[in-house]
Amino acid sequence: MKKHVMGVDFGSTTAKTVILDLQGNIVAHSVAHMGAVSGNGVKQSMAKALEMAGLTQADIGRTVSTGYGRRMLDEADKSYTEITCHARGAVAMVPGARLVIDIGGQDSKVISVDSNGLVSQFAMNDRCAAGTGKFLEVLARAMEIDLEDMGDTALRAKEKLKISSMCATFAETEVISLLAEGHPKTDVLGAVHKAIATRTLGLVGRVGKKGPVVMTGGVAKNPAAVHYIKEELQMPLTLPDNPQIAGALGAALIGLDDYKAENKRLLISGDEDMAHEEQMAADKACIPGCRGVPELATNPHEKQPVKARTSPAPEVAHSH
Amino acid sequence: MNIAVKSPFEEKKANKLQSTRIAGKLVNDYWEMVWRAKDEGKLVCWYEGSAINPFLEAADICWVHGEAYSAMLAARHQEGTAQRVAEERGYMRELCSYARTHLGCAVSNQRLRGDNAAAAPDEDDLTWKLPPPDMIISAYAYCSTGQQWDEMTSRVFGKKIPIFNVSLPWIWGAKPDAGYLRGQEWEETSTYVERQLYDMVKFIEERTGKPYPWDRLHALMADIKRASELRLEAMELCTAQPAPASFFDWVVSIAPINNLPVPGVKQYFETVLAEVRQRVKDGEGAVPEEKYRLFFDGIMNWNKVGWLANKFARWDAAVVAGRYTHMAFWQEPGLIDPEKPVRGMAQNYLICPNNHAAPILIDLIMGLCRKFKVDGMVIHASRTCRAFTNPQFMIADTAHKQLGIPTSMFEGDVTDESFYKDELLNSRVEAMLEAIEHRRMAAAA
Repeated sequence: MKKHVMGVDFGSTTAKTVILDLQGNIVAHSVAHMGAVSGNGVKQSMAKALEMAGLTQADIGRTVSTGYGRRMLDEADKSYTEITCHARGAVAMVPGARLVIDIGGQDSKVISVDSNGLVSQFAMNDRCAAGTGKFLEVLARAMEIDLEDMGDTALRAKEKLKISSMCATFAETEVISLLAEGHPKTDVLGAVHKAIATRTLGLVGRVGKKGPVVMTGGVAKNPAAVHYIKEELQMPLTLPDNPQIAGALGAALIGLDDYKAENKRLLISGDEDMAHEEQMAADKACIPGCRGVPELATNPHEKQPVKARTSPAPEVAHSH
Repeated sequence: MNIAVKSPFEEKKANKLQSTRIAGKLVNDYWEMVWRAKDEGKLVCWYEGSAINPFLEAADICWVHGEAYSAMLAARHQEGTAQRVAEERGYMRELCSYARTHLGCAVSNQRLRGDNAAAAPDEDDLTWKLPPPDMIISAYAYCSTGQQWDEMTSRVFGKKIPIFNVSLPWIWGAKPDAGYLRGQEWEETSTYVERQLYDMVKFIEERTGKPYPWDRLHALMADIKRASELRLEAMELCTAQPAPASFFDWVVSIAPINNLPVPGVKQYFETVLAEVRQRVKDGEGAVPEEKYRLFFDGIMNWNKVGWLANKFARWDAAVVAGRYTHMAFWQEPGLIDPEKPVRGMAQNYLICPNNHAAPILIDLIMGLCRKFKVDGMVIHASRTCRAFTNPQFMIADTAHKQLGIPTSMFEGDVTDESFYKDELLNSRVEAMLEAIEHRRMAAAA
């Protein structure tokens, strides 16, 4: 039985890979930026994660893919939708989470999770990428600002401007027009991030507001997006350390569940392990209860030899 | 568990009802009759929305239902030309695509038969083939687009076509005594529409120059009543597991019950019922392996009927019922007294699934979900049919809260394929099915 599983989130703008050990600990993760669903990008992400973990693909017992490109990954044993994987990943990162807001490259989704951590209801943006990472990328180009700097710049906004959140392309037109009117970039960017928040809250409305709320996806790394969403939500918003890998983590966790279930006979619990040790010791003992120290044998009066083994006892694979 | 199919081309197809092939033949025969109408000296009436065709059939007037023609073009993937022609005329893409397609046909017709005559078109191009109307009757519940569509059609033909309007009021259902098919509002509205239908008959008499043949209408409505009962009985049998027929089978059966010549319709549904009964007896389902039962809310993507049927079959999902099929098309035959059918007809027009306020509408939908024991709901938000789409967030919310079932929504359209995005449907429905499966596993653990 292999000792690691892999989850790959083959998204529209980035590919994320997470490798877990059989205890569910993250051993490695990586994010590759790429163009539209790119085979090279995802291979880079997987290769980097494997390198960090000191493993090869042959060491991976189960690979699960998610994201829009999930069916394109030959290495994947199974695939699940992003809804399922993001919910699972988010709850793993923030136990007890009941609402997951995930804003990715081209889609945004809000997932309500029940008390068992299962998907209860979800809503996604329809067709238009307004309010997603792509929206920010387009506007970053229009405003000649680095994507990484957008959030901090937007937080310095003073005047409340308004940008339509209905269409990513026409929002760009509005931005250009506001800049032409002399409004500073800070204020325009503030309006851009407010538009994302408004769009997101529309989705929350469809699913129902229930905390704790966790935000995942690449846009969760944008402090202004987080600020405005929190403001609209009027509820605390938890950000995990690595929000972008939630989908890949969820995929890996689902893969781990499947892998363990299929290999149940190779996995035993600590109690089962000890019970087996006891039995082995009893089988090997020359006198009952002796575990190599005859004086400590449970029944020292029964000094009857046990039939000697002619071959070594079989090794048992067990988790530590 | 893996809902997503590794290969999108995995061979698992819908087990369609064999008898629905007869519907195809009946539809073809009907349209052939329409295309011959002028040569046979018949008057032609164009109408949209409510099924007033029995009134016309009784008077030997050739009837042309706008949605039916648009749906037929879409089902044959021949809607593109008509839609382009309509856009060139100025009818934008956000407009009801039924209307846009049909208006495109009207415009094409005028170009060829009126001014701007063009070279004789290809006989296989159905865009231009509709005979121009001698009259227009507008009887459209809820949807204001429908009424304006008829007005625009009248303008395309130079405002020379007499047009009669039947006003079908919205059922508010807000009074204390209100409910489905009951209450003072219901009775008064029924009377209001009934009166207008009698006026409509006078309009027909003026057009034909003959007394209206009431006996013929009574006979036709007796058959429609019986056909409807047979259809409902067959749909009811889909409470069986596995469901013997699917929503998509009932979609194909809309034309016979809604707008085809009445002779033959009763026999069609007798055949359908017999086949469904046999399937129940044999334990034969509408999908090869029924694991999930779904309710379909929304109007149909006519470009995609067969394609969607197969897609859900690949997911092992039986779409067992839907608002469009189960809450429309003479769905209350008990209201019809064949000897005095007009009031019952008026009432069936009023209970178009878009014409109720949300409480009654949603209550009916939840009832269907319970009856058919659905695991989830797929919601088709038709881009250009706001009438159908308006209450869908509330329907989804109620399904989740009252029934505890997940829903997934996808955008598409009635006849404009460009609004439909396959991967968005895939990811949403697959996510819903994964959620259902996870719950089952958790419950079993």
